[in-house]
Amino acid sequence: MKNKQALKIKAKRQLVWYSFLIVSIVTLIVLTYIPMLQSVRYSFFDIQVVGFGEEKFVGLQNYEKIMNNASFLKSIGNTFILAFLSLVSIPVGFILATLINNIGKGKWQSFFRVGYYFPNIITGVSVVLIFQIVLKANGGLLNNALSFLTGQDVTIGWLSDSHFSRFGATILSVWGNMGYAMLINLASLQSIPGEIYEAAEVDGANGLKQWWYITIPQMKSCFAFLFITSMINGLARFTDLFIIGGNTSAGRPGGTLQTIMMYIYQFSFETPQYGIASAGAMILFVMTFVITLINLKMTGFFKKNKL
Amino acid sequence: MRAKKIRRALLIVILLVLLVIVLVPLAWSIVLSFDRTALSSLPDFSLVPHEFSLFNYEVAFTSIPLVRYYLNTIFVTVVHTFLAVFFALMCGYAFAKGDFIGKKFWFIFMLAVMMLPFESRMVPLYLQYKSWGMLDTYAPLLIGACAYVYGIFFAKQNIEAIPDSLRESAYIDGASDWRIFLKIILPLSKPLIATLSILQVLSNWNSYLWPLVVLRSSEKQLISVGVSIFNSQQDAIYYGPRMAVAVISAIPLSLMFLFLQKYIVQSIAVSGIKQ
Repeated sequence: MKNKQALKIKAKRQLVWYSFLIVSIVTLIVLTYIPMLQSVRYSFFDIQVVGFGEEKFVGLQNYEKIMNNASFLKSIGNTFILAFLSLVSIPVGFILATLINNIGKGKWQSFFRVGYYFPNIITGVSVVLIFQIVLKANGGLLNNALSFLTGQDVTIGWLSDSHFSRFGATILSVWGNMGYAMLINLASLQSIPGEIYEAAEVDGANGLKQWWYITIPQMKSCFAFLFITSMINGLARFTDLFIIGGNTSAGRPGGTLQTIMMYIYQFSFETPQYGIASAGAMILFVMTFVITLINLKMTGFFKKNKL
Repeated sequence: MRAKKIRRALLIVILLVLLVIVLVPLAWSIVLSFDRTALSSLPDFSLVPHEFSLFNYEVAFTSIPLVRYYLNTIFVTVVHTFLAVFFALMCGYAFAKGDFIGKKFWFIFMLAVMMLPFESRMVPLYLQYKSWGMLDTYAPLLIGACAYVYGIFFAKQNIEAIPDSLRESAYIDGASDWRIFLKIILPLSKPLIATLSILQVLSNWNSYLWPLVVLRSSEKQLISVGVSIFNSQQDAIYYGPRMAVAVISAIPLSLMFLFLQKYIVQSIAVSGIKQ
């Protein structure tokens, strides 16, 4: 009798705990796991429009098709080129963080921290609109500045000339992201224990040596973190380039700015071929998955959370 | 000592100059938005409008339903943030303090989602909502908020730090876990709630791809998509009105940043999440 009572209480406690979780669990099953499995399934089928016509199992044909498709390969290339170019924001952020850190804690430091971070807050559509004008070939701010500095008339179409568009897109992303890189770098710089520098000072190491032998090694995990988050964001880059292309996924100018995500969008919503789009999505998934896994492993995430 | 002071002053000057360079594009776009001459050709760079007027803003407000977009975006942002943060804390509490069968499994079940990028399941998700007849409603933008995985993870870490003694004494007084959650855990988690809310607002205000995919009617559009459609229609000219629209859509987050900068910068630095 007593045992039964205790069991009942125990079972009730279980239910109470599950009542905290159940909504999120159901949401994840319905909106994440099922669609993910669907995505895998679609990638093996020939599906033009769901609900119309047969869904024909085609095995690896979709993968074969897109891996032989020049514009898909180009979009992979574009994505990686753009992702690597965007990494410039990390050293830029590090230099800024070093300068800001060197002025010491106080009003000025908070001022610069906030000031340089500000562009990151307004990322999104506004930034693209603004940079379409800043990077304009005729009368754009950057070309004006370059003309002034070089004494020649510079009219580079940073976002309209396919030779320069990737640099233009990079200027935009570095402008938007360096504040973030600065913030993370600064937090990391300030967590290096001061005793290490004091000890080095006693040993007679000068500033440059301290920087090279203490700061840089201590910052390794911070750089790795920024590298990985930057790569993950870069792989899924879409919004700004879509808007630069005039709300199309063609990656204008000349397809130089079409990322994998834009390719997937094109075959999902502009000229629907869900099989092809899903195969592309799977390839994107595998790349992101590998990078995330490396990230979690490197940051000791599994150990910390006893997984 | 003096050399150090000079060095510091020099650093401040360098940083100020660089900051001005970084922020010049913003300043110029604001100037252009008030410049009557910035219509079919781009005026020369200046720090004040060549011909001050509110014309560009009038054009912006009459060409697209900006107020409507604003209200839509505010609605989606507020509801999404509320749902996401509340459910994240609920799960965080269960994972931090709970004792139930399958705890480890469900925790991994949730964290694993971090490795499944939204983009790779977008098409089936879209088709799913289509078959439910929910396209062109806000449901697809909001339901997903009920499982904010990053939030759950942060909530778990933070709630773990709340000492058990508080809960135990409440238990002895006969309080249930829900009561403890609402009366003890929530009030003690204000900084956590603030951090998660800030991250949510930032990411919602700028969300683009998913609203672009699921919303069709123009009066339901969010500000990000609405503005970009306007922008693509005005390609090449209409510089002033485009800048006016850019300024208007950037105002809310800028204001929020101005007032909450300390918390925002802190939230980003602590979580490592950029929107």
